[in-house]
Amino acid sequence: MSTSERRGRETATIETAQTGIADGRGMAPASASPAEMAQAAQEKAQVREVIEQKAGGGVSLVAEGVNAWYGSTHAIKDVSMTFRANEVTALIGPSGCGKSTFLRCLNRMHEVLAGARVEGKILIDGQDIYGKGVDSVRVRRHIGMVFQKPNPFPMMSIYDNVIAGLKLNGIRKRKSEMDETVEHSLRGAALWNEVKDKLKESGASLSGGQQQRLCIARTIAVEPEVVLMDEPCSALDPISTYKIEELIGELKQKYTIAIVTHNMQQASRVADWTSFMLAGDAGYGQLVEYGRTEQIFTQPQDKRTEDYITGRFG
Amino acid sequence: MAVQTARRAEKLPGGRVNLAGRGSALGDRAFQGIAFAFAASILVLIVTIFVVLFVDARVALAQEGLRFITGQVWNPNESIFGALPYIYGTIFTSLIGLLIATPIAVGASLYIVEYAPNWLRAPISFIVELLAVIPSVIYGFWGLAVLAPFLRDRVERPLKAALGDVPVLNALVEGPARGRDMFVAGVILSIMILPTIMSVAREVISTVPGTQREGMLALGATKWEMIKGAVLPYARGGIVGAAILGLGRAIGETMAVTMLIGNSSTKISWSLLTPGYTMASAIANQFADANSAVHFSAIIGVAVVLLFVTGAVNLVARLIVSRFGGDTRATGI
Amino acid sequence: MGLMTLLLAFTFVLTACGGGATPTTGGTTSSAAPSAAPSTAASTAPSAAPSTVASAAPSTAASAAPSTAAGGSATRTTAPATTTSAAGGTSSTATRAVATATRTGSATAVGTAGSANATPNTSINITGPFSGEANTLNGAGATFPQVLYSKWFDEYSKVTNVKVNYQGTGSGAGKNAIRDQTVDFAGSDSPMSDAELAAAQAKCGDTIQHIPTTLGAIVVSYNLPNVSQKLKMDGDVIAGIFLEQIKKWNDPKIAALNPGVNLPNEDIITVHRSDSSGTTDNFTSYLTAVSQAWANGPKSGSTVQWPGGIGASGNPGVANEIKNNPYAIGYVELAFAKQNNLSYADVKNSAGQFVTANAASVTAAGQSAAERAPADLRFKLVNAPGAQSYPITAITWILVCPKQTDQAKAVALTRMLWWATHSGQQFAEGLDYSPLPPAIVVRAEAFINNITVNGQKAFPGR
Ligand SMILES: Nc1ncnc2c1ncn2[C@@H]1O[C@H](COP(=O)(O)OP(=O)(O)OP(=O)(O)O)[C@@H](O)[C@H]1O
Ligand SMILES: [Mg+2]
Repeated sequence: MSTSERRGRETATIETAQTGIADGRGMAPASASPAEMAQAAQEKAQVREVIEQKAGGGVSLVAEGVNAWYGSTHAIKDVSMTFRANEVTALIGPSGCGKSTFLRCLNRMHEVLAGARVEGKILIDGQDIYGKGVDSVRVRRHIGMVFQKPNPFPMMSIYDNVIAGLKLNGIRKRKSEMDETVEHSLRGAALWNEVKDKLKESGASLSGGQQQRLCIARTIAVEPEVVLMDEPCSALDPISTYKIEELIGELKQKYTIAIVTHNMQQASRVADWTSFMLAGDAGYGQLVEYGRTEQIFTQPQDKRTEDYITGRFG
Repeated sequence: MAVQTARRAEKLPGGRVNLAGRGSALGDRAFQGIAFAFAASILVLIVTIFVVLFVDARVALAQEGLRFITGQVWNPNESIFGALPYIYGTIFTSLIGLLIATPIAVGASLYIVEYAPNWLRAPISFIVELLAVIPSVIYGFWGLAVLAPFLRDRVERPLKAALGDVPVLNALVEGPARGRDMFVAGVILSIMILPTIMSVAREVISTVPGTQREGMLALGATKWEMIKGAVLPYARGGIVGAAILGLGRAIGETMAVTMLIGNSSTKISWSLLTPGYTMASAIANQFADANSAVHFSAIIGVAVVLLFVTGAVNLVARLIVSRFGGDTRATGI
Repeated sequence: MGLMTLLLAFTFVLTACGGGATPTTGGTTSSAAPSAAPSTAASTAPSAAPSTVASAAPSTAASAAPSTAAGGSATRTTAPATTTSAAGGTSSTATRAVATATRTGSATAVGTAGSANATPNTSINITGPFSGEANTLNGAGATFPQVLYSKWFDEYSKVTNVKVNYQGTGSGAGKNAIRDQTVDFAGSDSPMSDAELAAAQAKCGDTIQHIPTTLGAIVVSYNLPNVSQKLKMDGDVIAGIFLEQIKKWNDPKIAALNPGVNLPNEDIITVHRSDSSGTTDNFTSYLTAVSQAWANGPKSGSTVQWPGGIGASGNPGVANEIKNNPYAIGYVELAFAKQNNLSYADVKNSAGQFVTANAASVTAAGQSAAERAPADLRFKLVNAPGAQSYPITAITWILVCPKQTDQAKAVALTRMLWWATHSGQQFAEGLDYSPLPPAIVVRAEAFINNITVNGQKAFPGR
């Protein structure tokens, strides 16, 4: 499938989803007024505009034989897979199979925990992030992360939350530039309209869904190449979930995205590629199957995958 | 008997539930009564302390009026009692102690929580907590034997040499370097309040959620940037609280301060090298010596002021905490 | 307050009478002795130096005044204390000093004439154990005589099996303790004021007695590393130092008295008592007597307004601070300076001589004590006349209530007092104190004999 084809299909998917709103089906709000719909459309246009302004696109991320341990516990074994540039890859599997662990290996967050250890290679644009002389801090600037539980910085304003990552880079931008970035990022996270009048308020004063979008805004404000998301919607209501799913669909034009989810529908809605992980009797998690999303969901090659997606276990 | 009846009643045939009964209610009421008595006795105690102090201080307060806290002369021989120098001494030394102890406590807590290898955490915490159980008088002796000469020769004299000729700043080092002054008392206070501040600060810092730290790290923060950007702001309210606790201890501290503050000169000056009194040390020094009713009453008056200053400091600190937010908001995620 | 008003009135009268030459109303402050006038008048005769409290109340005024004048304490003779205190206006300290003098003078009038030649009763030998006597006595107060008292009570327990506890709390606390009757006796080297005596009446039921125990020198002690010569000081310099007007060790005023001494260019760190202290009372009485600046400034008292410096508790505390702080200077009883190996200055006396503090110079200062001590023995010895006299000499007392209520305690107490004022005197010199002049001992005997328990004489006479 060529890129243009894929693009077309995705647009179609999104439009289907949108039609869903009008139909009152699926995730969409049941009683959207015309005004609300107009606003949603406007927001979407804003997001697209922001995305298109980003210099450069995503880059591919390749995991080769990744093993991870917590102390002496072997959590994942020999996972190899590719996160293709400007595409969304979903990680699915039963609880405890090592999805989060693997995701955290991808931007060197795993090693932050005491006693945690990683082996294997992860190549971003051909460079091993675990290679010699690589600074984990720099890695994380290129590979951003959104967590399961929204974690805005409560002592900072919304404004400061967004530029938190920028301040770290030590770049002293002028106020006007900062303002621009804040607006830009919040538009990119489809949050601008909701918060533009209260940028000075605490990041904790937002709803859970808004907080998660704030975290996305914070992540894209530093313009990484890859965005990792660990169950970003699990703590959110359907409307917020819908908004974020939509956002993911837009973001992938310029970012490479990996998303962990327990929600099969979500995986099928947002992901181009899906990988299924499973912890065997030995305790450690392994990659069972990896392929295009529709293939995994319609004709899985592995019996275990089939059992899982049909809800027969897990 | 009553209990048995009640039990049997619960098992009445026909499945009807009987909830009536007095046995448990009686015990409950008794306990409530005892608990109330305890609570009330604390209240009575506090009220008694206040009343007794006020009654005893009345003579001096009536004689001096507002001058009791604004007057700069405390001269029992002429029956003049202005406690401002003592108030100043208390605030000055406590602030010095706080300014020194808070950064150290926070720094050490950060080290223990964020950097120290696991095996080192418990020993460091233990040693710091040990500081808290050392009796005040031991601090005083150690202060006299070790700290004061060290500070006098290694800090005060060089500081005096360095700042002596600098305009404005030289006010900080006016007078001879004696090793018995506000500075030395402040330093000993800082050591004494360190464990208080540290145990709270450590607790507060270690309860900063991992998600906050990871959120900052995931943005590409170094460890220090993470501490600065996520840990400290989150813990700020708690750290201010810790500092208040320390301040509370510093204000009332008596023995070690009395041994090191110089017990002298009712001068009010910005100089770190001023020997003086704190309210607590003035009370300790003069309590046995008061030979007139007014003098005795005036000393009690100082105790009353000490109570009020403690109260005021707490109030101000609480305002600061609520102003900068703190745990209340932080836990609201 | 009433007392204050009286004292004020008194000073005004003095001023009105021109230089205070005839303070005929002197007795007003004293409830005990209304017939004060004559001897006080004598003591303030023109050109005398009545600013020394000791010399303010001679029983034989004619001899005391001229000797002081002849001594010519250079800076002082032209400024009678009465003028000073009048100028001081509201100072109760100054007025109190005058009051003491007056009171003293009045008491003298009641008379000890002839007793100067009496000799102590040596026939009584205190031994123990003595049946019916309490086996412990508790005292507290002055730290000035503490070195001697420790020795005494140690010896005394060997002689009689009576254990005497003495806590060095400072004279002020001692006076409070005897007022509140929380001790069997108190130590003080600051006499109780009339007001204090009146306050103590409540619990005791009579006037607290001042029983002298020993004389001692208050030395100006210092810590000057690398200076081996003994420094010389006079009243002006000492006052200047403690007023913090002389700030450096190499100040010209110090240098002028100490040619050839290599004085360091270092800040002087003064040390004084933080507690209410008889040592302070005597020391500041001396400074008030010899320095106009001091008399106009902090004046005398058990506590005064120090312009600066370190405050320390008790003689031991001050000695420690001097020892631990290079370039420090303070005042302590001679024994404490010796115990701690501290240097102390020779001080210029009223005869213009620089005198080293020792038993001999203290004894010399005590020579005049017999003549000038009032009936109740409340007086000071500072700035005493005589070429050999050490000028900062102090007398110290044991304060007791003459109306005892506990038979056993009263017996033990009076026997202990007798022993202290007689056999105990032999230990004084070895510990750098001076024994009491015999005439004073005789008068102490009378006090001890006058102590009663439930109306009966307490002292069993052996
Ligand atoms: N901090 C940790 N310390 C020790 N073991 C851990 C830690 N975190 C996870 N594990 C273990 O590693 C394995 C993988 O955990 P992980 O969190 O990656 O699973 P997951 O697939 O993300 O599960 P879920 O879907 O429930 O989030 C589990 O067995 C888990 O118990
Ligand atoms: Mg997980």
